[in-house]
Amino acid sequence: MSKRPPPDPVAVLRGHRASVMDVCFHPTKPLLFTGSTDGELRIWDTVQHRTVSSSWVHSAAHGIISVACSPLIGANKVISQGRDGTVKCWDIEDGGLSRNPTLTIRTNSYHFCKLSLVKMPHASAKVAEGPTHDSERESREIVDTERLHNSRGKTTGSEIECSTSHEDSAPAEGTNSVAVSGEQNSEVEIWDLNTAERIVRLSQNCSGGSPNISTKGRGMCMAVQAYLPSKSQGFINVLAGYEDGSMLLWDIRNPGIPLAAAKFHLEPVLSLCLDGSCTGGISGAADEKIVMYNLDHSTGSCLIKKEISLERPGISGISIRPDGKIAATAGWDHRVRLYNYRKGNPLAILKYHHSVCNAVSFSTDNKLMASASEDTTIALWELYPPTDLKWNSLSGHITIRAC
Amino acid sequence: MEGDSNRRRREVETRVLDKVGEVTTAIKSAKHVDQVICALHSLASLLFPLDSSLLSGILDQHYREEVLSIKAPSANERGDWWQAFYRGPGFSTLARILLLDVASDWLACFPLSARKYVYDTFFVNGPAAEVVQTLIPCLQQDGSDGIDVNAVHSNTERLVVLCLIENNGVLQIAGKFDNSCQSEDSADDCHKGTLSRVAQLVASIPDKARLRAPTSLSSHSFFKQITIQLLSGAEERDSTQSDKATTFNKFEIDGTLRFTGEIFSRICRRGSSDVLLSEVVPRVLRHVRGFSLSSNDAALSDLIQSNPGSEVWLKLMQAIKDPYAVERMSEQLLHQLAIERVSDTEAYWTLWLLFNRIFNHQMSIRSLFVDKFLLWKVFPVCCLRWILQFAIFEFPPDADPLSKDHDIQGFFDTVQRLAAVWSKKEFVQSTPMEQQAYVTAAVGLCLEKMSKEDLDKTKDVMHSILQGVSCRLESPTDLVRKMASCVAFMLSKVIDPTNPLYLDESCTGDTIDWEFGLTTPVKGTLSTSTFTDKDLKETKTSMTSVPKEDPNCKLKDEIDNNVKSRKKISEFKSIDPDEIIDPATLNYESVSDQDDDNASEDSDCSSDSLQPYDLSDDDNDLKIKFSQLVDVAGALRKSDDADGVERALDIVEKLVRASPDELTHVTSDLVRTLIQVRCSDLAVEGEEESAEEKRQSALVALLVTCPFESLDTLSKLLYSPNVDVSQRIMILDVMTEAAQELANSKVMKPKHQTRAIISTISETQPWFLPSSIGPPGAGTWKEVSETGTGTLLNWSNCYERELPSKSGQIKRGKTRRWSLKSENMQESQVEWSQNKFPLYAAAFMLPAMQGFDKKRHGVDLLGRDFIVLGKLIHMLGICIKCASLHPEASAMAPALLDMLRSSEVCHHKEAYVRRAVLFAASCVLVALHPSYIASSLTEGNLELSNGLEWVRTWALNVVDSDTDKECYMMAMSCLQLHAQMALQTSRALESSPEITIKTKGISLPSNRSKGTIKLPYLNAEY
Repeated sequence: MSKRPPPDPVAVLRGHRASVMDVCFHPTKPLLFTGSTDGELRIWDTVQHRTVSSSWVHSAAHGIISVACSPLIGANKVISQGRDGTVKCWDIEDGGLSRNPTLTIRTNSYHFCKLSLVKMPHASAKVAEGPTHDSERESREIVDTERLHNSRGKTTGSEIECSTSHEDSAPAEGTNSVAVSGEQNSEVEIWDLNTAERIVRLSQNCSGGSPNISTKGRGMCMAVQAYLPSKSQGFINVLAGYEDGSMLLWDIRNPGIPLAAAKFHLEPVLSLCLDGSCTGGISGAADEKIVMYNLDHSTGSCLIKKEISLERPGISGISIRPDGKIAATAGWDHRVRLYNYRKGNPLAILKYHHSVCNAVSFSTDNKLMASASEDTTIALWELYPPTDLKWNSLSGHITIRAC
Repeated sequence: MEGDSNRRRREVETRVLDKVGEVTTAIKSAKHVDQVICALHSLASLLFPLDSSLLSGILDQHYREEVLSIKAPSANERGDWWQAFYRGPGFSTLARILLLDVASDWLACFPLSARKYVYDTFFVNGPAAEVVQTLIPCLQQDGSDGIDVNAVHSNTERLVVLCLIENNGVLQIAGKFDNSCQSEDSADDCHKGTLSRVAQLVASIPDKARLRAPTSLSSHSFFKQITIQLLSGAEERDSTQSDKATTFNKFEIDGTLRFTGEIFSRICRRGSSDVLLSEVVPRVLRHVRGFSLSSNDAALSDLIQSNPGSEVWLKLMQAIKDPYAVERMSEQLLHQLAIERVSDTEAYWTLWLLFNRIFNHQMSIRSLFVDKFLLWKVFPVCCLRWILQFAIFEFPPDADPLSKDHDIQGFFDTVQRLAAVWSKKEFVQSTPMEQQAYVTAAVGLCLEKMSKEDLDKTKDVMHSILQGVSCRLESPTDLVRKMASCVAFMLSKVIDPTNPLYLDESCTGDTIDWEFGLTTPVKGTLSTSTFTDKDLKETKTSMTSVPKEDPNCKLKDEIDNNVKSRKKISEFKSIDPDEIIDPATLNYESVSDQDDDNASEDSDCSSDSLQPYDLSDDDNDLKIKFSQLVDVAGALRKSDDADGVERALDIVEKLVRASPDELTHVTSDLVRTLIQVRCSDLAVEGEEESAEEKRQSALVALLVTCPFESLDTLSKLLYSPNVDVSQRIMILDVMTEAAQELANSKVMKPKHQTRAIISTISETQPWFLPSSIGPPGAGTWKEVSETGTGTLLNWSNCYERELPSKSGQIKRGKTRRWSLKSENMQESQVEWSQNKFPLYAAAFMLPAMQGFDKKRHGVDLLGRDFIVLGKLIHMLGICIKCASLHPEASAMAPALLDMLRSSEVCHHKEAYVRRAVLFAASCVLVALHPSYIASSLTEGNLELSNGLEWVRTWALNVVDSDTDKECYMMAMSCLQLHAQMALQTSRALESSPEITIKTKGISLPSNRSKGTIKLPYLNAEY
C-alpha cells in the first residue's frame, strides 16, 4: 500500500516580481503580508486569493528582508525590514498600507538577519497547562503587567485600538519592541517601536561574561527571536543564533552576560522559532540538520530534544503552528518539510516551489500555512486542519472578526 | 634322398609344363567350346579333386566320354602336381591364356558349372598371393592383340571378387606370409619385397577397377572387406595362439601382421583411413571395454599386456611403418573416438593399447603427439584431453594426479613450449581462429593440472602466459579476448585457488568452455566455415544472454518478495480495516483527537493523528537545467563535479540539435571538451555505458549540425598526441555515425542563389549602380529620368530594371491565388536532398587520410594502434559509401585506393586491418558510378583504373593465401562486386560513345577503342 501523496497547495499567489523573502499572516483578519527582494510589500486576501494592495515600501535596490505583524504591536500594524538599514512600521488602512510609514527606525544594519517581534506565551500554552490553573495564571499575568505599567510610569494603552483580545489587553512595555541584528552585525539590538529608540545592545563581546560561556568569535548574528517568558516579569528575553552555529540566550536585564549558550549546529544558524509556550523551539541552519530543544529559564539551560538530519542542507525559515502540533521548515532544496513538533517525526515533504524557499508561516487559526520562495510565488497550504472548528469559532478570532 | 626328391620334382615340373603346353595348343586350336572345356578339364583333374560327372551333363556325347575317361590321380600325386604347377611357370602361362584368350573368346559360351569347375578353380584353389600377382595386371590389360578388352576386364574383376573377397583371399595371403616368414628367414629381403608388392597390388585394386566394376570393388567397400578379413583373422589367430603367447617376442612382428600393416598403411595413403578406422575402433573399444577399467594404472597395463587378445593391437601400429599412415590413422582414431563419445578412461586405454609401445620407443611418434597434435592440428577438445592425458601426463584420467612419479620434466617442457607458442603475437595475428582456440585450450588444460610450485619450477611459463594474455586482451576480436580471460582465469586459479580472477563477467563458472563455441570443422571447407561463423554469433549471443539470466532471477526474487510483502500488507489490512486511504475521511476521522487541543499535553497518542504523508523524495527537480551550450561546455570541463557532467551530457545533444545561432562559435570548443571528458570515470557505476552513448550521440549531433567546424577539430584531435586510443576510436566511430546520418538525412532547403560574397572591381557594371544581384534573367539597371516629374535638380539617382515574373506566377485570368507560390514551387525554388554527405565528404576523409602513416609520440597507427587504423579505414569506407554515385565519390576514390594500396596497410599483419581494407575497397566498388569509370577510362585516367585493377588482384591474392577466414570470405564478395562493377562499366562504355557522337558530333572512336583495350582487365570475369 502506497502512502498517500503529499498534498498540493490549495492556492498559489503570484504577482511578485522578485524573490519573496518573508511571509506573515495577519493575526485576526484573513490577510497575508509578503515582502520581496525588489522592495514590494503585498497584501493578499487569503480567502479570495487575491492581491489586496501592493506598495513599494523599500527601495528596489535593497528590497525587503522581513515583514512581521503581531497582536502585541496592534492588529492594524505591519512592520517591514529592508536591506537599506531601516525598519518601517505601517498602518493597515482600508485599501492597503498607509501612504507613509508611521515609524521608521534606522538600524543601519544591512545584512540578512530577519527582525523579530516579541512573542508572548500563547493562549494555547495556558490551555495546555490545564484548565484548573488557567484563571490563576492569567490573573497573575495581568497583575504583572499592571505592576510594570505602574513602575515604569508609561502608558502604552494608546496603541491598543482593538483590545478585545486578551493578549492585547495586557500590553507590556517590552512587547512593543523589535529585536534586530545590530549595526555591529555581531550584536543584537532591541528597539522600541513607539519611540524608534534603541533600548539595549546585546553584544557578545562585552566583558564580565561568565567563564563557562565563551563569548569570543561567534561571528555575525544570523537569526534572532525575542520573547517574553512567563517568569521574566515582562522583561524580554532574546534567543540569537550566530554564524558559528551557536545560540545565546539573553535577558535584557543583564545585557552583559548571556543566560545560556548552546552550540547545536556546525554552520550558521539561519532560523529560529519558539513554540507557543516559549519553552522550546526549533533551529535550522546551513548544515544538514534541524534541532529541537527545550529552554529552561530557571536554570538557564538549553537542552537538545531531538535532532533531525536532512538529506540536503540549508533551512532558511522555520515556523511552529500556534497550536504547537506541527512545525514547518523552508529549505534551500525547494522543499517545505513538515514535522510533528511534539515527537519530531517527519510528516510530509511538500514539493511545489522550484526555487529556494525563504519562509514559512502559519496562520493564527492554524488552518493555513504560507510558504514563500525565490520563484516569486507564495503557496498556501491546508495541512492537518485543526479539528474542532466549533471550539475555534467559539474561542475568539472568528467571533471577533465577525464583530 | 635330397637329390632324389629334387629329381622327382623336376620330373613333375616337366610333366606339368608339357601338360600345360598341351592344353594351350588344344585351346588355341579348338573349334568348339567343348574342346576348350575338355582341355581345361584334363589339366584341372590332375590338379584338383574334381568330380567329372558334374561336367558331363553339359557336354556333347563325344566329349563327355573323353572327360569321363580321364582317371583322377591319387591325392599325393595331385599335391606334387599342384606344387609344381603353381610354383613353376606353369600357372602364369596358363593364367595368361585363361585370362586373355579364353576369357575373350570362349568364356561367354561356357556353361556356368563348367566355368566354375574348369575355369575359376585354377584361381580360387591356387595360392592367393600368386593368383593376385597374375590377376591384377590383367585389370588394366589394353586391347592390343585383338582381344575383347571388356570381356577380359569384367572377367578379371569377377575373379578378383571371387578370390579376394568371397574366398577371404587377403586373409590367405596374410597367412601365407606368416608361414613363409617362419620358414625362410634368410630370404628376408626378397620376402619383404614380395610382401610389399602384394600389398601394393591388393590395395591398388579399387583404383584399377573400371567404373562399371562390381560395387564390392569400390574403394570404400573393398577396403572395408579386406580390413574386416584381416582384423578378424588376426583376432582369431590371437585366440588360437593363446597358449604360446609367452613365446612371442615383444617387438617381433610376424609376416601376417606385417602384411596387415602394409595393407593398412596403403589404405591410409589412399585416403580411406576413415573406412579403416570405422572397423578398427569398434574392435579396439570392445577389447578395451572387456577389462574393468577401474583398477589402478600399473596393474591394468600389465593385465592388458598379458591378455593374448591384446597382442594384435599392441603390435598393430608398430607394424605400420609408414609415418604418414600412422599420422592419418591416429588422427582418424581420435576423431572417431570423439564421435563415439567414449569416456575419457576408455579413450586413454585405447590410445595406450595402440600406441604405448611405439610412443615410448619411436621419437617420431612421440613428436607426433607432443608436437604436431598439440600445435598444428585441431581436434575437438575431448580429443585434446586424451592427447594430453596419454602423451603429456602419461597416466589414466582417473588416476591420482598427485603421484608424481611420472615424467614431470617432459610435462613442464611441453607446457613451456605451448605457452611460448601461445604468447607469440604472430600466433594471434596469423593463425586461424580454430587453431588458436585449440592451443588456448591446450594451455588451459595444462594449467589446470599444475600447482603453484610447478609453476615456479618452470622457467618462464608464467611470463609467457601473462604476455599472451596481455596481447590478446588488446585484440579487436571478442573471441580472442575471451581466450585471454579464460587462460588468465586458469592462471589465477593456479596461483591462488581461493581467489580466481574474472576478467569477464561472462565467465563466472568454474568450468570453462574450451571449445569457445567453435565446432571444429573436420575438413576446412567453406560450408563448415560459415557454420562456425554462425556458431560464433551464437556464442556471442549466448555470452550476452548468460549474465542476463541473473538479473532475471533477481527480478523474479524481487517480484516474489513484493508479492510476499504485499501479502503481508493485505494481512495487516485485514487486521485493521479502519485504515483507509482516503485523506479526506482521514481528516475527519482525526476529529476524534480534539481533546488534544483542550485536554492534557501528555496525550501523546493524540499526535498520532498526524499521519505522515508519503515521505519519498528525489532530487530530479533540484538539478540545474542547462540552457546554454557555453554552460554545458563549462560543466563538462569541471571534472570534479560528476553530477554536473552527467547533467550536461544529458542535455547536450538536445541543445546541439536545436542548432542555436551560437553553435558555430562553440562547436570547436564543445567537440574538444566532449572528446576529453572522462565520462565513464565520472558516471555512476553501471551507467558508464549510457554516459558514453550520450557523449557519442552529442558528438554525432555536433558533426551533423555543424560539420565543418567539428571536423576541423576532430581531425586535429585524431592525430594529436593528447588523446588515447579509446578516444581515437571514439572519434572515428562518431565520424562514421555522423557520415551515415548525413547521408540518410532528408532535408528540404531553399535552393540558394549563388552570389558572389565579394564583388570584384572588374565587374563591368559601374560602382554606383545597384548590385546586379537578383533573380536570374533580371534586366540591366537603367537610370530613371525624373525629368518628367518636373523637378529642377536631380538629387537622387533612381535606377530601375525589369524583373522576370517568378516561375509559375500566373497573371492572367481571374483565378484567385492566395500566394504566388505555385505547385512546382518545390522543384524550382527548393531542392530536395536525400544525401547531405557528399558536400562534406572531402572534409571527412582527406584530413583523416593525411597522417595515418606517420609515427609520432603516442601515435603509431601502423604498428601498435592497429585497431585505430582498422577503424579509420572502415570509416573511410563508410564515407565513400555514403557519397556513393555522387561525383564526390569519384573524386575521393583514387585517393582512398591509393591509401589502401600502400603495402603497410593492405599487407598489415593484423587480419583486422586487412578486413577493414577489404571493406573499404568493396565500398569503393559500390560507390563509383559506372559512367564515371567509363569516362575516366576513355579519358585515360590511369589513377583510377590502376586502383581498381589493384583491388581485383589483391582480392584474388587474399582469397588464395590469407589465413583469416573472414578475410577470404570478404575478398570473395569483393571480387563479386568488382565483377558487377566491370559489367556495369562495360555497358556504360558501350552506350556512351554513341551518345557523345550523336550529341556533339565529335568522333570518338579512337578514344573508345582505347577504352575497350583497357577493359579486359576490368571485366576479367566476363
